[in-house]
Amino acid sequence: MILNDVVCPFCGCLCDDLELEVEGDRVVRVQNGCSLAEATFMNDTRLPAPIRRTTTGWEKISYDEAIKETADILKDADRPLLYGWSSTHGEAQSVGVHIAERIGAVIDNTSTVCHGPSILAIQEVGHPGCTLGQVKNRADVIIYWGCNPIEAHPRHMSRYTTFATGFFVPDAQRERTVIVVDTRRNDTANIADEFLQMEPGGDYAVLSALRAIVRGKESIIPKKVAGISKEQLIRVANICKNAKFGAIFFGLGLTMSRGKYKNVRNAIELTDELSRHTKFVISPMRGHGNVYGSNEVFTWMTGYPFAVDFARGIAFYNPGETTAVDILRRGECDAALIVASDPGANFPRVAAAHLAKIPTVLIDPHVNATTALSRIHIPCTAAGIDAAGTAYRMDGVPIRMKKVIERGYPDDAEILKKIYDRLNGEMGS
Amino acid sequence: MRVILESKVRKKPTLPIEAEAIIPRNFLKGTDLLVYEGNKERKLSELFWIFVEGTAVSPENIEVVLKGDTSRIKRVGEYMDTGSILISRDIGMHCGNFMSGGTIEILGNADAWLGREMRGGTILCRGNAGHYCATGYRGEKKGMQGGKVEVFGNTGDFCAEYLAGGEVHVHGSTGDFPGVEMRGGQLIIEGDVTRPCANMKDGTCVILGRVHEMIPTFEKIDRRVLPEWKITADVYKGDVANRGKGMLMIKNPGEV
Repeated sequence: MILNDVVCPFCGCLCDDLELEVEGDRVVRVQNGCSLAEATFMNDTRLPAPIRRTTTGWEKISYDEAIKETADILKDADRPLLYGWSSTHGEAQSVGVHIAERIGAVIDNTSTVCHGPSILAIQEVGHPGCTLGQVKNRADVIIYWGCNPIEAHPRHMSRYTTFATGFFVPDAQRERTVIVVDTRRNDTANIADEFLQMEPGGDYAVLSALRAIVRGKESIIPKKVAGISKEQLIRVANICKNAKFGAIFFGLGLTMSRGKYKNVRNAIELTDELSRHTKFVISPMRGHGNVYGSNEVFTWMTGYPFAVDFARGIAFYNPGETTAVDILRRGECDAALIVASDPGANFPRVAAAHLAKIPTVLIDPHVNATTALSRIHIPCTAAGIDAAGTAYRMDGVPIRMKKVIERGYPDDAEILKKIYDRLNGEMGS
Repeated sequence: MRVILESKVRKKPTLPIEAEAIIPRNFLKGTDLLVYEGNKERKLSELFWIFVEGTAVSPENIEVVLKGDTSRIKRVGEYMDTGSILISRDIGMHCGNFMSGGTIEILGNADAWLGREMRGGTILCRGNAGHYCATGYRGEKKGMQGGKVEVFGNTGDFCAEYLAGGEVHVHGSTGDFPGVEMRGGQLIIEGDVTRPCANMKDGTCVILGRVHEMIPTFEKIDRRVLPEWKITADVYKGDVANRGKGMLMIKNPGEV
């Protein structure tokens, strides 16, 4: 069977033009997708049933048993942590927030280790952004700062920027100027019109220098800023000022390098400064398929996009204090529920070690590094493959993901709802 | 009156305690106060041995003394307006939040957000302070607006972020970005710093130690003698990426 207009749930691009060939419960061919999409749909190896750690290994348990034990762990905890959420749909995320509020937990999503600093910066100075459709149709100057879309978001350039034909940019490859700012010459830099290679950790200084140049204060800028010559900075500032419509995309090279959210704030303030001369926008290159959705769902339910602490019954937010890595590093939490993510693979060692010390439950379709740290692993559907649901693209556009196959697993929203109902029953509604 | 709170041994010692109830004024009515341990509400007496010496008719005559392991106790002295608190060892986050009067003295180290959005009063930290010492809440445009924070050791990153009034004096060194987004007040750092006063809009910062990395958008305008510190300092105006009305004075590196 051929399915058209399928949404790939892997990265924040949420490409919605895939064609899949399905045979039974397997996807056998992916058309239009990148290599990441192919791997997502075709190398989908699942954990067959819930498992529980024993003194000698693992034992299979029923879903009911796994759900009961998870609810018991969460109910008894004094500072439970609910983490993950970015690779599932909004429907599951919203049940997660309800559970967090019910048990006085901290709920955090993967923004905490990717674009959390972008959110902090946006909360300080706002977000002059737009949809990817606007960029595709209007932008004649594109800046990729601290990101490498050719490898991390392989279709970003062909769908929205460098190679995409736009309404006001009909000859995209000739009419768009691409600028790449990075510490090393990556694949994206190789096809850029202008490459600014800066010293590691130099983002803030370079952004400040560009802001000053755009404000007409180039006379005080030194000859070199973080390894970039003043001439090149002035040239780039002029390209930006003379653009009809400019768009800055930034990745973890900016958010997670020295200075973190101050780097992003500086980039936003550069965007504001450029908008005094022309139209400029800025957007984060979000990683997980629905990480933007987890920020949206958390915000419309709690008022805050990540790192929300319900310990006192009301939502409290203070990244650095209520973020998952910090809570784990300080050894604060005494139970953890991980949903649709793999902190075992990317958290600092001390944080992952604490997950292994406390009762940790993982709800995820696949066996991953966090399985090794968990007491229980409950497999579920994968959003966008065998479960339908809503996800948000990196520019904040909600997209309905389709169910393309049936593999007989329960939806994670359904598992979470059962945990929530059991908690309500035992703790009183 | 002196109220001595000595922390009891806890089953889960790493659980945070939120104790904004610990301010001198509250002890006028007794010691029947509530705090949170994790997500559970507890009586103060469940977590502390409480000793009361003498009596008081007004809160300015009350001294609260914290003893034992207090490193996980957050929000001590929040909204404090009078009296004094003495902490004999380390203290947890947010000590002296929104404080408007009185004195807090910490004999050990303070965790992050010491004196956050402070309006008045004095905080003395004899050890080191964590990140965000004397700053604002996330997204808040004004951090500390009045009073004095004096740290005798070092501080972490973002010390005095959004400083809008009052004085922050660090006898040791700071981490990255001290005085970032400063828009008023005075910041004095006797030790070394990295990237001071980025995006500063107003206020004054004096650095007596070494600056390891300077933001390129500060304009050197003068070299002058600072009699108060008995040094010659290079005077910079900035941050010109912004409005550039701040004053950054750095001890002449050639001076011993």
